[in-house]
Amino acid sequence: MIFPKDDNVLVGLERADDAGVYRITDDLALIQTVDFFTPIVDDPYWFGQIAAANALSDVYAMGGVPKTAMNLVGFPIKEMDIDVLRQIIQGGIDKIREADAVLVGGHSIEDSELKYGLSVTGFVHPARVRVKNNLRPGDRLILTKPLGTGIINTAIKAAMAAPGVIDRVTRLMAALNRTAAETMADFPVHACTDITGFGLLGHLAEMVSGSGCSVRIESRKVPILPETAAFAGMGLVPGGAFKNKSFRQAMTIFDADVDAVMQDMLFDPQTSGGLLISIASEEADALAAALGRKGVPAADVIGEVLDGPLEKIFVS
Amino acid sequence: MREIDARGLSCPAPVLHTKATLEQERPEAVKVLVDNAASQQNVERFLRSQGYEVRLAQEGVDFAVIGRSGASGTIPESEPAPSAPEASQKIMVMCATDRIGFGDESLGLKLMVNFIRTLKEMGPELWRLVLVNNGVKLSVAGSPVLEELKAYEAGGVTILVCGTCLEHFKLLDQKQAGQTTNMLDIVTAMQLADKVINL
Repeated sequence: MIFPKDDNVLVGLERADDAGVYRITDDLALIQTVDFFTPIVDDPYWFGQIAAANALSDVYAMGGVPKTAMNLVGFPIKEMDIDVLRQIIQGGIDKIREADAVLVGGHSIEDSELKYGLSVTGFVHPARVRVKNNLRPGDRLILTKPLGTGIINTAIKAAMAAPGVIDRVTRLMAALNRTAAETMADFPVHACTDITGFGLLGHLAEMVSGSGCSVRIESRKVPILPETAAFAGMGLVPGGAFKNKSFRQAMTIFDADVDAVMQDMLFDPQTSGGLLISIASEEADALAAALGRKGVPAADVIGEVLDGPLEKIFVS
Repeated sequence: MREIDARGLSCPAPVLHTKATLEQERPEAVKVLVDNAASQQNVERFLRSQGYEVRLAQEGVDFAVIGRSGASGTIPESEPAPSAPEASQKIMVMCATDRIGFGDESLGLKLMVNFIRTLKEMGPELWRLVLVNNGVKLSVAGSPVLEELKAYEAGGVTILVCGTCLEHFKLLDQKQAGQTTNMLDIVTAMQLADKVINL
């Protein structure tokens, strides 16, 4: 396929990043992104918040500030009470407000299956765009939310998760990546992405591709929600984790002592996951400490960037 | 042998069908048919977690997961019901030992195993289990209560395992349950708990 070209497109389709970036002036660029999905929690208000946090996250992952948002709605109006939709949109509005952005419109259609999400526009300085694959050898990798939402959501579907666990994972998915992004803005970060459907290693593979570098992840240092291993060990692993793993098999080299449950957790598809940040090693501890002080859900240095040109992910 | 046809289903449906059958019938032997590798692995793990010995077989284009009941091939009753009542208080249990009492070592261990198993009777009020000093040995490979600890975690109990202690015993990489923690987390948990039980 041939895409239309424009010199002002700083990040476009050919780079497959978290969002598109278009330069307006020398010191202002527009970030544009869209994301929507089917319900992942039963409560409509929380679903609205999670879907909005997930859509806003792409702007944060590019190093930007969200400014405006538009609703995208597919709703089975004949079968479902309109109040469900009201609650979803209220959840979205509350999350957009928390991000200091505004809802300026939207579009809804009748759909057999409920869908909700946002199109989000944000601002960034053209020189401060955080792309995915600008890794540098020696960098450290920091993750800002624990993994496990895919496996725990599967356990929730199986009615095997306790109310406390459901509550915790719901709040985690609804948490904005705003604080992480704002904290990162004060540091010379080389690359950033957010962790969603491809899982930690799937998104890391996107960072590594085209970077000319390899990475090493220390699985014991990766923050993971405490119940995840137990559920994964009982066979509550979503199909997406297997797809992610087989898709990236050739790139990923596991040490012998990284067991199958850990591998599945590292490929577990996340909903509204954290930011994965690549930063020079001498700045990494300071950034992790700053993230920790500001109370982001996790602030763990989980690995490092190695010299290329292999473009592999080593997991120990 | 009880057969379950879970072909055409995607995760976690095959595990749920298997779970329902096991709960209702508790069969000695069960064969689950699935049509994809993901379901095969999940059903295999589930049967193993329920005490079945598992064998895998190929049946045409499909996979069969065959489980035979071991000594304890029944569903544990410790699974939390999703409608469990909200806890009225938060109880933190801190174990600084892997034995209960002094004197006979093997009796002490037996009592501790029984204690950990029986803790679930506290229901949702059991909030945190903190393992320090020799207590961390309960969380490592080969511990007789590892499965119980994992079941508590799955049920929402946070298990905190002292990192300094694991390091002291050179067991950091042996830990199989709980989150590695520090003294600040432990002190914070004590402050937040309504009741702290020391062992």
